[in-house]
Amino acid sequence: MTDATHAVSSEVVRLDGHVVDSLLLAKVLDTIVDAGASYEILELEMGTTSADPSHVRIRVSAADDAALDTLLAEVQVHGVNREDTSDAVVVPAPADGVLPDGFYSTTNLTTWARVDGRWVRSGRPEMDCALVVMAGSGGENAVQMVPMHRVRAGNAVVTGWRGVRVETPTRADEADGFGFMTSEVSSEKPKAVSLTRVAASIREAGERRERGEGGGRVLAVCGPAVVHTGAAPALARLVREGWVQLLFAGNGFATHDIESNVLGTSLGVSLGEGVLAEHGHANHLRVINEVRRFGSIAAAVEAGWLGGGVLYECVRAGVPFVLGGSVRDDGPLPDVISDTVAAADAMRAQLDGVDVAVMLATTLHAIATGNLLPAGVETYCVDINQAVVTKLADRGSHQTLGIVTDVGLFMGDLADRLCGAETDGR
Amino acid sequence: MSTLDWGRRYLLCRPEHFTVAYEINPFMHVQVHPDPELASAQFETLVAALRGAGAAVEFMDPEPELPDLVFTANAGVVDGDVFVPSLFRHPERQGETAHDVAWFAARGFRVTPLEGNEPFEGAGDVLPFGGEPGAAHGPVLVAGYRTRSTVAAHALLGRLLGVPVRTVELVDERFYHVDLVFCPLDERRALIAPQGLDRYGCRVLEELVPEPVWLTDDEAAAFCANSVVVDDVVIMPSCTPRLGKLLEDAGLSVVVAAVGEFLKAGGGCRCLTLALDVDLSAGRSAGERPPG
Repeated sequence: MTDATHAVSSEVVRLDGHVVDSLLLAKVLDTIVDAGASYEILELEMGTTSADPSHVRIRVSAADDAALDTLLAEVQVHGVNREDTSDAVVVPAPADGVLPDGFYSTTNLTTWARVDGRWVRSGRPEMDCALVVMAGSGGENAVQMVPMHRVRAGNAVVTGWRGVRVETPTRADEADGFGFMTSEVSSEKPKAVSLTRVAASIREAGERRERGEGGGRVLAVCGPAVVHTGAAPALARLVREGWVQLLFAGNGFATHDIESNVLGTSLGVSLGEGVLAEHGHANHLRVINEVRRFGSIAAAVEAGWLGGGVLYECVRAGVPFVLGGSVRDDGPLPDVISDTVAAADAMRAQLDGVDVAVMLATTLHAIATGNLLPAGVETYCVDINQAVVTKLADRGSHQTLGIVTDVGLFMGDLADRLCGAETDGR
Repeated sequence: MSTLDWGRRYLLCRPEHFTVAYEINPFMHVQVHPDPELASAQFETLVAALRGAGAAVEFMDPEPELPDLVFTANAGVVDGDVFVPSLFRHPERQGETAHDVAWFAARGFRVTPLEGNEPFEGAGDVLPFGGEPGAAHGPVLVAGYRTRSTVAAHALLGRLLGVPVRTVELVDERFYHVDLVFCPLDERRALIAPQGLDRYGCRVLEELVPEPVWLTDDEAAAFCANSVVVDDVVIMPSCTPRLGKLLEDAGLSVVVAAVGEFLKAGGGCRCLTLALDVDLSAGRSAGERPPG
């Protein structure tokens, strides 16, 4: 994960006594700055006479938890104490899928809960979840972010704010490769710069995978326009050459990907000539019907009926894909999970190790995925419609870099960057 | 010049069981034993010097298993009829507290321990300064922390006694108590060993003490700050010609009471005495008397 370099750990501390005349406050603040950390004085209550003690509340922020712990241990000798030393308040969930009153609602940031006097780091962050304390094996407690519907009666759910702290990401320098980009989206940004960034991000993920440090999985989230705009062959190439480890899409993308490879059309329009094929309006239904006959996309590949395309390459390369359904779906394809809660769970189950996500011309699936991703995931949203990117950012996925462009052209260039220029004369 | 309004009555403990039985400061080496007869003679020299300067001296009984009981400065802090006992950082000395408390309780002192469990080593780490009649403020407590006492203990003490505290960090392990770096001489002067302080501590004492007498490295290392002041007499474990002249020019007279055997345990003249006549009431506003 890259969030270590961008995250900041902070803690509110107190300093009480004759700390001004003894220059203890000055010494503590100097020590904080000398350690490369920063402070914010939240409260300073000066004693009215020299005999009266002063009280100071300071928020101390350091690069990461280790640095913060070291610094706080150093200044503790000068009388600085952590303010919040209380455990998180846990209340049992009253019923399956029901949270207790005042439940803590999570963000997509790494969160810690204090349990039995120790700070415990949560599992993979996900926004809008409950924080549940699980008694782990060997007496070690674990804290997980659990979506409402998966909470079981009696689960120890954190309520209120005490004993909970969140690692806040910082804004990285402009020179930094990705950093923290608040809704960075512009149709005027040079595309080559964005393209270089995405390619570098995916390449670095590959290096992380090779080093076996965990993480480094690249997720592609695809809308039907990937096929309509002719971006699918480039994406198929990226899958084939190992640049994509996970794919999320819906019935539309999958259907058109298969239709284009079996019949050469997308929603009945010939991808070669751009004209409506004869009786083409029913092409996608015929394709869905055939796959339903096979029982699954993998079975259709196995039988040799489907011989190319993004999903074909996924099946061949063993890249997992999750197809989430919607109300307007035709068919749907047998692989589509039409229970949306089950679909989101299936997506969650695949997210471990994902630290780069590329959202391609999709509103529904981009936002659904954005809701599930930890803030530290480098997310790129490629869409011709600026509103999609803004919407994703507004929902809390602040880590998104938006690229407003035609996905067809963009993906062709990205594949050329990562796989080398096409030589087959396409 | 106005002499200190305290320091004319002391508690001491004869060194019958004094030895170096453990090592809790850089001066103690269990292989280097003090000579009991010499230690006893040096101790009596100190007692004679105190009495010679006009001080009254009281004694508590020595205890066989408590060799450091001789260092009564660490028993606690006295303020009027209140005795705040120490909470020794090292278990080796924690047994002393019961004897200290018993002695003070038997003499009518109100024994008032600090709340909590913060290490706190009494007058060894807390010395009053200032507060002459007509001064801008009453006495403050100059307190040392890090090696033995904690900042939190000093904050609690300040609140308990209603007296401002100037807490300075002791940054050199040789000067593990504040009475090794700071010695009030009168209401305007104090011996200060900057070697044991950081720049913040030096600044604090510069602000507090109108006429500081800074010790050289050699003087600090020879425990010159660990002196006892009785009116205008400074009883020192050692002194240099430079320092002696400075003090005499300031109207003080110097008496050297060599206590070399006690230096083997890291203690000098001040460590062997506890002033019983400290009264910080000038620093308190009405209604802030400690609870009875």
